[in-house]
Amino acid sequence: MAKKLMKGCEAIGEAAINAGCRLFFGYPITPQNEIPEYLSARLPQVGGTFLQAESEVAASNMLYGAAGAGCRVFTSSSSPGISLMMEAMSYLAGAELPVVVVNIMRGGPGLGGILPSQSDYFQATKGGGHGDYRVLVLAPSTVQEAVDLTQDAFDLADEYRNPVMVVGDGLIGQMMEPVEFKRTISPEDLPPKPWATTGCAGRKPNIINSLLLNPEHLEAHNWHLHRKYQEMVKEIRWEDWLLDEPVDVLIVAYGTVARICKTAIDVLRARGIKVGLFRPITLYPFPEPQLSAAVDKAKKVLVTELSTGQMLEDVRAVVAGRKPVSFFGRVGGMVMTPEEIEHEVDKLVVQG
Amino acid sequence: MPTPIITKDLCKGCELCVHACPEGVLEMSTEINAKGYFFPVAAHPEKCTGCRYCLLVCPDTAIQIEAKGKVTVRTEGLTDKQFHYCPGCTHGVIHRLVAECLEELGIRERTVGVAPVGCSVLAYDYFNCDMHEASHGRAMAVATGIKRGRKDLVVFSYQGDGDLASIGMAETVHTANRGEKITVIFVNNAIYGMTGGQMAPTTLAGQVASTCPLGRDVNHAGWPIRVVELLQSLRTPAYLARVSVHDPKSILAAKRAIRKAFKYQIDGVCFSFVEVVSTCPTGWGMQPHESCNWLEENMIPYYPLGEVKTPETAA
Repeated sequence: MAKKLMKGCEAIGEAAINAGCRLFFGYPITPQNEIPEYLSARLPQVGGTFLQAESEVAASNMLYGAAGAGCRVFTSSSSPGISLMMEAMSYLAGAELPVVVVNIMRGGPGLGGILPSQSDYFQATKGGGHGDYRVLVLAPSTVQEAVDLTQDAFDLADEYRNPVMVVGDGLIGQMMEPVEFKRTISPEDLPPKPWATTGCAGRKPNIINSLLLNPEHLEAHNWHLHRKYQEMVKEIRWEDWLLDEPVDVLIVAYGTVARICKTAIDVLRARGIKVGLFRPITLYPFPEPQLSAAVDKAKKVLVTELSTGQMLEDVRAVVAGRKPVSFFGRVGGMVMTPEEIEHEVDKLVVQG
Repeated sequence: MPTPIITKDLCKGCELCVHACPEGVLEMSTEINAKGYFFPVAAHPEKCTGCRYCLLVCPDTAIQIEAKGKVTVRTEGLTDKQFHYCPGCTHGVIHRLVAECLEELGIRERTVGVAPVGCSVLAYDYFNCDMHEASHGRAMAVATGIKRGRKDLVVFSYQGDGDLASIGMAETVHTANRGEKITVIFVNNAIYGMTGGQMAPTTLAGQVASTCPLGRDVNHAGWPIRVVELLQSLRTPAYLARVSVHDPKSILAAKRAIRKAFKYQIDGVCFSFVEVVSTCPTGWGMQPHESCNWLEENMIPYYPLGEVKTPETAA
């Protein structure tokens, strides 16, 4: 298929259709409105349904209904809207329902701002809603990767019967890049879901539920979910960039921030400074052994994020005191420049 | 000669059947059943006319009627599981009516129900069809998701007053306004039963609840919400009815409305919504038959029964 120039948000919408998804429930919020707008026109063309819900609370519970009935379904929102969906995320995880949720993150807390941010890392990777649960979290750094990961997210959600979240910042959603849709799945070709509520003809009724009043049953369910999350480590994805040789400074960054770092690294390398990049693509499960191996090759570690230091905590846990870890963050919708990254690396090199 | 057949171990001793019987056939036993309750016995079977009033009011399907060699049976729309509801709670009656409609309309195997949070949170154990358990107040959003995803299914939600008219009011209004082709069974007993008798959005003015111990002060808490009339103001066509289950005739009328509501959905006509005014003997602190009288005297004047809107009459 030929490459097509598309805006990130629209490409994500088209990716969902290519993944065989024919249902979208959502509520407008900046900066991701192009996803629902695109799908409101596109889904009816392919026999699908777009529905603008009365709230993110309702939209996420519509997902719960549709996913329980065995449909591929997804929603997108941005930080304050994602917070409203956290109730349903907990129920979806508890009832083991596959859905895809896209968060085009904006600055917070509260209403915050509408410009790019990575400040929902904790919410995405540590559960977010109530109860002991996790969702698989994917973080693209290009529009093409956003397309590929969105399509993969549907398969992963079905495989693990668990919500999968794709987190991008406002930059990913708004920029245009050439993209290619590498595979197209028709809803008819998707594997059946015998657990779904499709009518009980010829079998016992199926029940979609997260209520387990017997504590022994709930404990068993919690450990069952935990084992599932542990199995997800085989889905870990990451990128090593210029890490074949030992480096003076290892930068750890994800999403579009990693691209800014690559620009800075090119300049630093041209100046003879040995710098490499480790980019987690799955934020949960976090690529712990892979990062640990990269840390072994570095003298110092620099974590940079559009937050005051959230992924930083996971990196510190992996480094475990072996190397010095420093942090550089911009927040509130402010985005770091390659020059700022260069400056931070210079400081670490000068310190020796 | 018709005779009531009583499965004594299903009985919770609510005595509604004894009060409903117009001929004085039934009396309460002097011994207790496996659950520890007194249960009805046909002390004067010769008086039985086969009117089925006892069967209709029994919340636990403990009574069937034998007549002309045939015995009525518990509907296949219900599972075999016994209800967890308190003695005399009318949830059991409403469950049976919904389940009978699923069976009689031949839709049980293509129906998905959505249970709420509240006393009927375990409804998924009782309806013999595919079920979802929703989070508090979101049953209609869940039902919307199911129906929009699978238009071939018949989808209903079963919700109480806190779930539907308080925390879920936004979902209620917007689901009705979109005209979702689903059926909603709204059980209004004017109190929060499961959490222990707190004030509901439908608690009557002056009615005592655990969070309004001096009675609902409408200057403080506002007036009880009439959901059917509120939804009536929406332009979207709908079937909106209010029924009651406090006596056999009301129960028969309730079933007609529920059946009609499902029929509108099956025919793809409109959103259908049946409010069932019901009792909460435990939460109200009354005997079950006193609750029925209290409902008739206090709730029906404020929550008038009848079809408030049909798609044929919609503007």
